[in-house]
Amino acid sequence: MSTRHILLGLLAKGPSHGYELKQRHDEHFPQARPLAYGQVYTTLQRLVRDGLAEVEGTDSDGGPERTLYRLTEKGSREVTAWAGQVTPPAPFVANEIFTKVVVTILTGGDPAAHLLAQRAAHMERMRELTALKTAPGADLTTVLSADYALNHLDADLRWMTTTQARLASLTALTMEVDRA
Amino acid sequence: MSNRPAPLVAARDLVKSYGRTPALRGACLEVGEGEIVAVTGASGSGKSTLLHCLAGIVRPDGGTVTYDGKRVDLLPEDRLSELRRTDFGVMFQFGQLIPELTAVDNVALPLMLAGTARGTAQERAEEWLERFGVREQKDLRPGELSGGQEQRVALARALVTGPRVVFADEPTGALDSLAGEQVMTALVGAARASGAAVLLITHDATVAAYADREVRLRDGAVVGAEVPA
Amino acid sequence: MRTDLRLAWLFIRGSNRQEWWRIALVVAGATCATGLASAAAVLASVRGQHSFSFAAGLLNQPGERSGAIVALLLLLVPVLGFLGQCARIGAVHRDRRMAVLRLAGAEPGRVRRIAALETGLACLLGSALATAGAVAVLTAVWERPTALAWAGIALVGVGVPLLGTAAGVLALHRVVASPLGWVRRTRTRSGRGPLLLFTGGLLLVDVAALGGVTGTSMNSRGAGSNAPLVVCAAVLAVGAGAVWLTGALSWLTGRLLAARTGSPAVLIAAERLRDDPWAAARIHAAVLLVTVIGTGFAGIRQALLTELENADDTHGFAADDSFYTTGLDLTAAAIAFGLVMVLVALAVGTAESVATRRRGLAAQVAAGVPRQVLARALLLETALPLAPAVLVAGLGGLVIGTVYSVLASGTVPYLSLLVPAGIYAACLLATALSLPLLHRSVRPAELRYT
Repeated sequence: MSTRHILLGLLAKGPSHGYELKQRHDEHFPQARPLAYGQVYTTLQRLVRDGLAEVEGTDSDGGPERTLYRLTEKGSREVTAWAGQVTPPAPFVANEIFTKVVVTILTGGDPAAHLLAQRAAHMERMRELTALKTAPGADLTTVLSADYALNHLDADLRWMTTTQARLASLTALTMEVDRA
Repeated sequence: MSNRPAPLVAARDLVKSYGRTPALRGACLEVGEGEIVAVTGASGSGKSTLLHCLAGIVRPDGGTVTYDGKRVDLLPEDRLSELRRTDFGVMFQFGQLIPELTAVDNVALPLMLAGTARGTAQERAEEWLERFGVREQKDLRPGELSGGQEQRVALARALVTGPRVVFADEPTGALDSLAGEQVMTALVGAARASGAAVLLITHDATVAAYADREVRLRDGAVVGAEVPA
Repeated sequence: MRTDLRLAWLFIRGSNRQEWWRIALVVAGATCATGLASAAAVLASVRGQHSFSFAAGLLNQPGERSGAIVALLLLLVPVLGFLGQCARIGAVHRDRRMAVLRLAGAEPGRVRRIAALETGLACLLGSALATAGAVAVLTAVWERPTALAWAGIALVGVGVPLLGTAAGVLALHRVVASPLGWVRRTRTRSGRGPLLLFTGGLLLVDVAALGGVTGTSMNSRGAGSNAPLVVCAAVLAVGAGAVWLTGALSWLTGRLLAARTGSPAVLIAAERLRDDPWAAARIHAAVLLVTVIGTGFAGIRQALLTELENADDTHGFAADDSFYTTGLDLTAAAIAFGLVMVLVALAVGTAESVATRRRGLAAQVAAGVPRQVLARALLLETALPLAPAVLVAGLGGLVIGTVYSVLASGTVPYLSLLVPAGIYAACLLATALSLPLLHRSVRPAELRYT
């Protein structure tokens, strides 16, 4: 997933300028990492360079001058093709928790305690997300993003639970690999 | 952990075996007034047995259970029944509704058992059904309801007497995630509104996330420290 | 077919305790049925005057013999009701097993055949026991039984297991339609199957009674021997009416009470009646037949005894009163046997309903419904619909008794009304027998997940 494609997607609704694009992005994807202005402008310039977007003109409404961008035919094709592609299911997920458990074993720490503390942190975040989505007046995009995050955290938790049950084997294996 | 409200329900060193299978080995738990506590753990970790002991459904072999400062594990059977009707609301994964009674009669039943006239009981039952969005289904029998509707009716039945504690054992266990979400939102919302405490048994972390804190059981005892809110 | 038989045998061998109960009761029922039918067959094989050293000469005359045959065949009715009741034990468990068979790839017909063979095997054991008994009794009381008598016994011995299997196929007709049948909650079973079985059995008994009566009455007094037939028809008519009546009354009491009552126990009982009124009718059908017969008999007995006391031997009575009193006593014993059968069936039915619902009942108790309320609901479920039905059946029996005694002595045998009252009380007692089971069933252990 790239900022390019998100901006192309937002431009599909009609010409827009950088500030507005950033705001619309944050509205559509409330739980995502917010876009930085600088990132928006450099990405727009690259889109123009590649012929996917073009400058429509400038307007200023009394404020500072703003450049309006619009989608080209090529850009339109590009974004449609991208959205139509099936996202490849991740073959390997970067698993920081796993790395830390192994390092804890290597450094002679208590992996079980680590997993328990991690569980507490996960649960805390899940409570926050649950509170967020069940708060009166929560909008649909918030609920959907919270659901996505909750399910991923839940997957982490389930992985931690089974890992907890397999800690003895994991410790033995880690020590053996180290010795070899 | 220091500012937790005074415990409304408390279990100390509970021990309980079924035949030769130990279900609880020294479990301790406190639930404060208006607090929502999730008990999680693998199947067979003693979650349900803990709830049964706290709700006075089974007597522990050892240890104490107190409710509002009184020893629950020493009460005679009919006092326990009464307590479960008046101060406690109980909800299970399924089976708590009488299959032959309509939704509204199922909800009205605890009130009728307490001596409320049928008409009044039904009116109050309908208010609860309305609140949980199942009033239209009031004349249907449990078998004619969807899983989510059935659990919301069960929730209405658990809450209709205005209990101070709700014991919910896997209330979403048989539901898909969306129906489960509706039931949990209804349960938590109603408990917060009325100030009822909730003891929630679940194996599902997304359900446990509705609670104020999580207590984890393993092999019939609480794992590590309780997680602070 | 051999595989089916083997599977059926495997299922029987692997049965749990509840299943063993069912099998034992089916064997008992089949034994009774075979015994009664064999006796009737042997009596029917006898032609004209014959001297038996048995039952005070009661069976010597064709006329009396036809009465005895009708009585024996009528006794089959409660036995059939009892067998139908046994089929319900563990029905949920068996439905599940059949659904699993279906999922494993067995055709519906085959599953039905396997299940029916299970019943057939149990019936075979029962009929073998009874046939052995019948042969022993026959050789003891009759020096040289005719070939026809032997043929009758053989026919019954083979026929009962076959009929049992066929009835099984018929009763299971709708059960195994879907491999996923067990996923659905058991909604009201219409009960048409057992009802069909019961009606079919009644018809069969009726036809057999007709055949037997016309057979033995040949070359005898003629016109007078139509009386048993008339009595038999009247009894069946009143009985059938009562079956329909219980169903309708169950539904009606359920409906009326469910809408108005303020008592939780009555509400639960009423809603259960409204939900499946025919479940009650099925169980109570036999109760009502026994009530009709019992009340009618009590009236007739009273009249006959009065008449015997006043008799001056000029009306063509037998010289020895014991001829009549033996007859009356035997009939009373037969009716008592029928009543016991019915009561056992009733107790089995109630126990079965508690056992099937035990998990839900445990959940009710856990949620704070007092056990006493559930126990009262269980009793009311039998008591409510049975009260008016037994009353009507009792009145029917009284009419039969009255018609007889008014013709004979001009008195109305009010005393016979004690019979329906007694039967009603006995039914409540039989239902109450399942209360200890209720108390045992609602343990919280039932709440643990499987």
